[in-house]
Amino acid sequence: MTAPFFQYGMFGDETSLVVAFFIGIGFGFFLERAGFGSARKLVSQFYLNDLAVFKVMFTAIVTAMLGVTYLGWIGWLDLSLVYLVPTYLMPQMVGGLVLGVGFVVGGYCPGTSVAATATGRIDGLVYGLGIFAGMFTFAELFPWLKGFYQAGSGEATTIPGAFGIPYGIVVFAVVLMAVGGFYGAGLLEKKFAAAAGE
Amino acid sequence: MRNWMSMLTLNSKLALGAVALGAIALFATPYPGSTVTLDAKELALTVSKDADRVEAPELAAWIIEGRADYRLIDLRSQGEFAQYRIPGAVNVPMAGLIDAGLRRPEKLVLYAADAVRASQAWMFLRAKGYTGAYLLKGGLEAWKDQVVFPVLADNPTAAERTRDEKRRSMSAFFGGQPRSASSVSAGGAGMPGLVTPVTPALPAVAAPPSPMGGAPARTKKKEGC
Repeated sequence: MTAPFFQYGMFGDETSLVVAFFIGIGFGFFLERAGFGSARKLVSQFYLNDLAVFKVMFTAIVTAMLGVTYLGWIGWLDLSLVYLVPTYLMPQMVGGLVLGVGFVVGGYCPGTSVAATATGRIDGLVYGLGIFAGMFTFAELFPWLKGFYQAGSGEATTIPGAFGIPYGIVVFAVVLMAVGGFYGAGLLEKKFAAAAGE
Repeated sequence: MRNWMSMLTLNSKLALGAVALGAIALFATPYPGSTVTLDAKELALTVSKDADRVEAPELAAWIIEGRADYRLIDLRSQGEFAQYRIPGAVNVPMAGLIDAGLRRPEKLVLYAADAVRASQAWMFLRAKGYTGAYLLKGGLEAWKDQVVFPVLADNPTAAERTRDEKRRSMSAFFGGQPRSASSVSAGGAGMPGLVTPVTPALPAVAAPPSPMGGAPARTKKKEGC
């Protein structure tokens, strides 16, 4: 049995939607359990006194990365078949900044706003409506934005592929970055929590 | 050792575990690269039973019926594809075969400029786990011969008449013209079976817009936290 199951034809389009539904429910559940249904908790990371978002997200990245690496290594997962988002460097950098500004101003990112709405938070709902307004505006402006939106090669670029660094070294470097980042985050939290308490 | 471990918090232990796994991953080769596995027995069985190919008239019938449960792949160059294509075909040159977004369980019917090239693509796809890959039997030549410019009997029997009627309507659907058996054998000089039939220039057949075009089209997916 080799994954990705969808690519190997173990289930079709309809079942994949059901699978996606349950994965989405699980994702929302853990966001809420991590306290990410609260805008205050989320925005604290920008004041550097609570870096839980950074820690949770980086933990998820490291866990998934190690899981994918080992599953690929023992042959249970065909990594060449895993979907990678095509790289459009400039549009994605600008998009990231727009999302970041929205995160600071609105207090949520798209996924967490849905989790907040599900627990009955009105600010989450308003944020969700904002997402739809943004999507509508983007779609209306798309003819003007299309050139920039598709600027770049559109190839799925990976760090090992682009820089010729062996895969294992990238994995180890990301783990070290995470552990170093967690240590640094702890120091920052202590410093800024004390400052906020004064 | 035990004392030292017990002094660590749970977070530190998890971090140590991650570093250890990361260090082992230095030696990992998770991409299998270009190696493929082949079930030789299964392939041999498929080939010997002729279960690896689709006849041209069968494909024509699928197109006329408007069946959508298969994908027709034209492996020739973009120029050749632009000149003539079987209706509904999408152009995927050999080099782009794996990146073309084809799905493993999909029924794929392949044809190329020559049978060898199509067979190579078929073997390549089968080796990569595309279990629904089929060859168009006889390739584009068979398509011209049997579907677009089919041969009709000169003095048909009742059974042949029914068959010819079918061939005539099929040929008309694809913008072709049937040929008579006598005109084909006239150029044969005693060896009608071995002579390539003289086919007029193929008419341009407008194919539906290809979802892949020359290069595989990429769709952007939205993802976020």
